[in-house]
Amino acid sequence: MDLNLTAPHSMGTTIIGVTYKDGVVLGADSRTSTGMYVANRASDKITQLTDNVYLCRSGSAADSQVVSDYVRYYLHQHTIQLGQPATVKVTANLIRLLSYQNKNMLETGLIVGGWDQYGGGQIYSVPLGGTIVEQPFAIGGSGSSYLYGFFDQAWKKDLTEEAAEDLVKKAVSLAIARDGASGGVVRTVIINKDGVKRRFFPGDALPLWHEELEPCNSLLDLLPEPMST
Amino acid sequence: MAKAAVDVPPKGGFSFDLCRRNEMLVKKGAELPKFRKTGTTIVGLVFKDGVILGADTRATEGPIVCDKNCEKIHYMAPNIYCCGAGTAADTEAVTDMVSSQLALHRYATGRESRVITALTLLKSHLFSYQGHVSAALVLGGVDVTGPHLHTIYPHGSTDTLPFATMGSGSLAAMAMFESRYKEGMTREEGIKLVCDAICSGIFNDLGSGSNVDVCVITKDGKDYLRNHQLPNPRTYVSTRGYSFTKGQTEVLSTKITPMKEKVEIIEGDAMEE
Amino acid sequence: MAPVEAATKQHANWSPYDNNGGTVVAIAGGNYCVVAADTRMSTGYSILTRDYSKICQLADKSIMASSGFQADVKALQKHLAAKHLIYQHQHNKQMSCPAMAQLLSNTLYYKRFFPYYAFNVLGGLDSEGKGCVFTYDAVGSYERVGYSAQGSGATLITPVLDNQLKTPSPLLLPAKDAITPLSETEAVDMVKDVFASAAERDIYTGDRVEIVVVNSEGIRREYVELRKD
Repeated sequence: MDLNLTAPHSMGTTIIGVTYKDGVVLGADSRTSTGMYVANRASDKITQLTDNVYLCRSGSAADSQVVSDYVRYYLHQHTIQLGQPATVKVTANLIRLLSYQNKNMLETGLIVGGWDQYGGGQIYSVPLGGTIVEQPFAIGGSGSSYLYGFFDQAWKKDLTEEAAEDLVKKAVSLAIARDGASGGVVRTVIINKDGVKRRFFPGDALPLWHEELEPCNSLLDLLPEPMST
Repeated sequence: MAKAAVDVPPKGGFSFDLCRRNEMLVKKGAELPKFRKTGTTIVGLVFKDGVILGADTRATEGPIVCDKNCEKIHYMAPNIYCCGAGTAADTEAVTDMVSSQLALHRYATGRESRVITALTLLKSHLFSYQGHVSAALVLGGVDVTGPHLHTIYPHGSTDTLPFATMGSGSLAAMAMFESRYKEGMTREEGIKLVCDAICSGIFNDLGSGSNVDVCVITKDGKDYLRNHQLPNPRTYVSTRGYSFTKGQTEVLSTKITPMKEKVEIIEGDAMEE
Repeated sequence: MAPVEAATKQHANWSPYDNNGGTVVAIAGGNYCVVAADTRMSTGYSILTRDYSKICQLADKSIMASSGFQADVKALQKHLAAKHLIYQHQHNKQMSCPAMAQLLSNTLYYKRFFPYYAFNVLGGLDSEGKGCVFTYDAVGSYERVGYSAQGSGATLITPVLDNQLKTPSPLLLPAKDAITPLSETEAVDMVKDVFASAAERDIYTGDRVEIVVVNSEGIRREYVELRKD
């Protein structure tokens, strides 16, 4: 069995950012793998940058951590110099700057989400080469390929907070069901003018999709009688 | 002016002088020396009053055991210890370096070191070498903000976990943790689980072996239990013994240089007050 | 990618061989022969089993111990057993140890360009009842010696045997038998000791050592525990 344990840590991931009526909902799974081994089954891929801006990370764990550490550091300086909170746009642009200038070194795709008094809730997607796109919703990571059709169909403008969070939760659980590199729990972050709410939904509390099995301790319990003896 | 800039000796970091030569030698078929790798089992967990770290004591060089009782739990600060897996030289160097930076930081601030400081210093060093410094670490400690346990991978990514394993025996040890870890364990329960996880690595992973080292860190201090368990005593010793006859090595010449006394030793009052 | 290009770039990235480790030793005495092997079978950093016998009785007075690739060793043992059965039908007697040694050499050389990945020692008693040991490489080069070690711990054990059991020079006239001066109990004791020592330093040697002693009374087997880490 070659688990490829020496491979760099990568987050074969599902990350999502969705705007709704009053702000944004960010979502992510919690699996970090090295090759075939799950190195962390409860990781937090939604990192805080400032009070009102969060970042969903995918790709190389090391690279995305370093990018977010630098951006957080710059934003703190920026906030002090300006005397007011950094906007989502400034944050996204800073991430783009680092991603673009170090594109030959970095292997990370990021989704920035947050709320500010000028633009309200905003989602920016910053994929591999340092492109930047503002989108009403953004999906990323290896699990996202299973979700494009779903989002085309399910996303509506001006969702309520509950509807938006349900959408994100449903989408991440769908991706977890199909994508081997995504798994664990679903984490969400809701950001609006009132502040931030963080929630997590354990793996056994997620809906079961097509052909998914109920959680159980041993596969032997599922096998027909003659095989389980 | 330009010449002076070139001639300035390097201040620190690694010397890459021989990289191109070595690359050429490899192309010509030369074999480079093997590194001493600690194919290892290292673990850590958070318990009721703090953190417990554990490690096996085998160091290997390919298939050969080159140290049967090495220390893999490194000192970082009085309240922080760090288990190392990977290339022995790298884990040793990187932990020594960061522990000296932490000591200087303590002198400058007059405060106890924090685990997050050690974590940041380690990860930024490892990230800057892009995984070429192959140190995989389990960092644990108790500071003013409470107990902390982190894992650090050679590429510089870090995780924060209630229980962690690393090294070639990490799967065997993680199986133990995943089935038996509970929140809020007592010191005795914690040590038992750490020992069982290390033993699982020792017996099921060929890269790990020999003895179990444990380090318990609480807010009241640390308890370094070197060789807490010795599950692999020597199995057989010949009762006959061996004798080696003289003359196996031919003596070509003999020269005896008599020792000269260079210092006169005065009995008694020299050192007395 | 074009199919032709794909076909030309395809090549096997797997190997038909594996190394399952293990150490084998044989010592020939005046009227006995000791053949020993550890019982660990491993691959990479994993132990496959702690109780696998590497010793095979090929004829009444021929014992083969083999390390290397278990599948090849098994194939070799089956082949030799079949050959020996035919020999018995044709000659109505057991093959002598020197004859078996020649057969083993021929069998190995037959696969000169796709060798059996097996490192063998063959021990037993010759037609005069004297202990004999034959040592091989993977392609059938062989020699009658007084003692031999093969496999992963051979580099550790051979120098000890060289020191303790001196071989008479093959150039001596009249030729001297390559047998050790030790008594049977001394030889068995030495085997136990060298295996315990090899298990200390070789990660592929351990768990248990199986010792087979052949003498005029027949065959005796004993086991000694080794390190299990």
